[in-house]
Amino acid sequence: MRKRFGAVQAVDGVDLELQPGEIHALVGENGAGKSTLAAIAYGAVRPDEGSVDALGVVGLVHQHFKLIERLRVWENVLLNREPRRGWAIDVEAARARVRELSSSYGLAVDPDALVETLPVGIKQRVELLRELDRAPSVLLLDEPTASLAPSEIASFFATVVDLAKRGTAILVVTHKLAEVIAYSQRVTVMRAGRVVATHLTSETNAEAIAREMVGGEVPALAARAATALAPLLEVRGFSARSGTSVLRDASFEVRAGEIVGVAGIEGNGQTALSDALAAIVPFTGELIFDGAPLRASDTPASRLARGIRVIPQDRRHEALVLDWNVRDNVVLGRQRVVPRSQYGEAAREVIERFDLRPPDPDAIVGALSGGNQQKIVVGRTLAGTPRLVVAYQPTRGIDIGAAALVQSRLIEARNAGAGVLLISFELDEIFATADRILVIANGTFVGAFDRAGVDRGRIGALMAGHA
Amino acid sequence: MFRTRAFRDIVVVLVLVFGVGSVAMLLAHVSPIDGFAALFDGAFGTKGEVAQTLVEMTSLLFPALGIAIAFRAGLFNIGAEGQLIMGGFAAGWLGAQFPLPGYFAIPMLLIAGALAGGLWGAIPGIMRARFGANEVIATLMLNVIAVLLTTYLVTGPLQQGGANGSETGPLAKAAQLPHLFGTQLTWAFVIAIVLAFVLRWVLMRTVFGYELRAAGDAPEAAKRAGIDLSRVALVAMTLSGAMAGIGGATIVSGVLHRFNTGLSPGYGFIAIAVAIVGNLDPLWIIVASLAFGVLQTGGIGMQTEAGVPREVVSLIIGLVIIALAGRRLIASRRST
Amino acid sequence: MNATLAAVLAVLALTLVKATPLIYAALGGVLSERSGVVNIGLEGILIAGAFTSVVVSGATGNPVLGALAGVLAGMLVAAILAFVTTRLAVDQIVAGTGLNIAALAGAAFGLVLIYHQPGASHEVPALGHTGEIVLIVLAFAAALALHVVLTRTPWGLRVRACGEDPSAAEAAGIDALKTRFWAVVAGGAIASLGGVYLALAELDLYSDGMTAGRGFIALAAVIFGRWTPLGATGAALFFGFFAALQFSLQRAGVPSELLQALPYLAALVALAGFAGRVRAPASDGIPYVRS
Repeated sequence: MRKRFGAVQAVDGVDLELQPGEIHALVGENGAGKSTLAAIAYGAVRPDEGSVDALGVVGLVHQHFKLIERLRVWENVLLNREPRRGWAIDVEAARARVRELSSSYGLAVDPDALVETLPVGIKQRVELLRELDRAPSVLLLDEPTASLAPSEIASFFATVVDLAKRGTAILVVTHKLAEVIAYSQRVTVMRAGRVVATHLTSETNAEAIAREMVGGEVPALAARAATALAPLLEVRGFSARSGTSVLRDASFEVRAGEIVGVAGIEGNGQTALSDALAAIVPFTGELIFDGAPLRASDTPASRLARGIRVIPQDRRHEALVLDWNVRDNVVLGRQRVVPRSQYGEAAREVIERFDLRPPDPDAIVGALSGGNQQKIVVGRTLAGTPRLVVAYQPTRGIDIGAAALVQSRLIEARNAGAGVLLISFELDEIFATADRILVIANGTFVGAFDRAGVDRGRIGALMAGHA
Repeated sequence: MFRTRAFRDIVVVLVLVFGVGSVAMLLAHVSPIDGFAALFDGAFGTKGEVAQTLVEMTSLLFPALGIAIAFRAGLFNIGAEGQLIMGGFAAGWLGAQFPLPGYFAIPMLLIAGALAGGLWGAIPGIMRARFGANEVIATLMLNVIAVLLTTYLVTGPLQQGGANGSETGPLAKAAQLPHLFGTQLTWAFVIAIVLAFVLRWVLMRTVFGYELRAAGDAPEAAKRAGIDLSRVALVAMTLSGAMAGIGGATIVSGVLHRFNTGLSPGYGFIAIAVAIVGNLDPLWIIVASLAFGVLQTGGIGMQTEAGVPREVVSLIIGLVIIALAGRRLIASRRST
Repeated sequence: MNATLAAVLAVLALTLVKATPLIYAALGGVLSERSGVVNIGLEGILIAGAFTSVVVSGATGNPVLGALAGVLAGMLVAAILAFVTTRLAVDQIVAGTGLNIAALAGAAFGLVLIYHQPGASHEVPALGHTGEIVLIVLAFAAALALHVVLTRTPWGLRVRACGEDPSAAEAAGIDALKTRFWAVVAGGAIASLGGVYLALAELDLYSDGMTAGRGFIALAAVIFGRWTPLGATGAALFFGFFAALQFSLQRAGVPSELLQALPYLAALVALAGFAGRVRAPASDGIPYVRS
């Protein structure tokens, strides 16, 4: 199987087979290609090369549910396959069918409940029931326990094990090694679009899998003299929610003149962290910046005024005005601070310092490459003297040259006395730049390392939920 | 030079005007050549007709500028008609009620128009900012409410005369906009053009305009850049209404010399087409309003000289709106 | 029968007469909006229905044919809106506004072309008293039918799915664009009956501006009625009731403009959330573009 999206080879020559009745785990970091592979197997995405052969129906439970919130459970489960009586829907038959599926698979739901009123765990049952109604012989589960509470996870897997006993082939795409060890018969590890290894779960262990997921080598790190640094940001008991991203009870600090890396798999609260620091969403807990508390009721403008700047994850929708030119985008965020006469100067500064191509302040940003777009965002964020820079996936989807440039500018900012909170899904990036590394998993912080004591395998295991 | 999208839009407009126009003319048993000749003659034939064209242009230009401001901020202000009527009413009432000293009279009328129109725009603005209410429906409803309210006021408590008791009293000479070149064209024309240039400057060269455009073009990015989207919505709607209100005031002060309920033959709606054809840019809107002014005045000539019903013009305008409603507006819409 | 009873019955009858065109238009709006398309062009559809039904009735001498033609015209006009908004992703609000302008102008143009006089058509064979009652009853039947269709038929479920979350609907195998298209066209068919009623039942001609903003009142009814067929019908009856009371209330000193403004004020109140939580279908007004 091969699939390319633009510049990225998402799946690069993968062979995978599932046997009836097995629970097969597919693990890997972000960008390893797992979700793409599942989408191809389901038929939602066509591969460039390769084929999918399945005996029977393939079902997919999406990571982000495809449920219609304002419809009822039975309406969602049987959408487009409703039982009929003449021209009308046989509502009683529909309810009965849902109840039948429900008891048969041990997934209790109320057929008449409105989906939007249901807790996440129950919503997932509805999503699952919808696929089960199609009697799939293969069931793909994409990060199925990402939003579940621990108690819900156990009952979810009881269902999965039961399904496997009935002969369904199950592929669980996950990054949680505890679940892999506990429930799967075989595990395939992917990295950078390729299959690294396939094992019988009984013949391997979490550490080994984690090592295969993240790769064994630790890149040489630039040595840094340890100096006493002043605390810049102190976080205690911090919780926030942004959409589906939830962060619970985080406590850490960032000091001026250091880069703190937050390592973790996507979907573990990073967006909540970034958005709460940017004051896009509120938070509970304590947030102290430069000795003074930050309030949950702050506006984004007030955070900017304090010197807290966030590089958001999605530059196209959250950072840039694609229809505008470079000059106007460079000023975005500082439009009240920089006088109009100096817009040109500000643009030139970023163009030079970040080697923008083409070096034209009037170029329309929407037409630039991803790398150059990101340079604008990072360039304007680092202009002047920011106190705290929150960089969320600062090198996402950009070419190596631009990525290296961005990373070195972040290091320069640190050297100039800024505190940098680097949230990234790429361990390589964190290892290349961070002075300290925090690990986030399951919506909370699970580990902290100094540069000196870093063990890549251990961090990988923590990220994968294996303590 | 020809930005592809703008060029394509102009082509569409020309096709609709000449295509649909020709078909309609043939249906009316008139040759398109005669029909269009009558149209242009009606618009430019005599000095009086040229002046009338410019008067229509002016009456369209004010609300179109207001609509452009709102659309640029990502807000669908379909209520320019109501805002214009409220502005006209305020000016008419003020002008007839109070003996205003000569040089104050006109500015006061225009300010009254701006305030009334601004208020009428602020209502949906507040509803959007506070309750997240859809400004489209709100402005549509307020259009009708404006007509009903002013009708009530003018035929009832504030009645001051007119054919069926449907107008305010005549304005004093001092409150009437002075004429240009001895025609029916007034200084309103100049004010409108100046206003267009001022608005363009505000939009492109001030921080306020920068933030407004950012809110319309990339609301999520604007929010993270510290821009207060609610405040922008409120200010933009108020300003938008004020523009239309001034337009109403100039119609009262310069054309009718009184307010009556038939003040506007739908200027606020036609102005939507003007704003879209002008690509939401104040300077291009000047050109667009001239084009539509030609259609309006020419339509009359087309009817009297060639016997083509002038409703053809409105029909074409409606089709232009449908055809051009895509494009630029989509980005702002999806982000609300 | 004493005078009070007679008066009450008269008001009730007048309420039905006033409400019926609103009900048709509002039902058409509900169907369209539940599928996710805001239909500002209801006024234009009413005009198309009214005008076409008069022209055809006059030409054929048969008012029933006229009515059918009116429905077809409404469907055609709705189809134009549906096409540009689903296939071309044109903005629904602005397109609807353009449609209203074009329809009014088109009908006025037609008046001159066909009847050689502006302002109004000749009188044509109308549906008469029986026809009027049939249409009134049909309006309520349509409300019930739409309610049943939306809640109990497979197509209705699909329409609702498209209005809430077109991408989830497509994930279940539904063609969201096609479903929206047909919902808007069907809505146009229903709404046009309001125009037919105005032209061939209440009167027997078409005159310029006879729809008098009923399309917008219907929109207010849709909102006030929480986007449900029964709710919108109730709202239409409510508005019709006050329209019927207009004369009596006027004599009591209430300004007629206030009464006429009632529907619009009610919609504003509903929009601002004072009449309880009012939520449109989640994807209402948002063009669906397949990625």
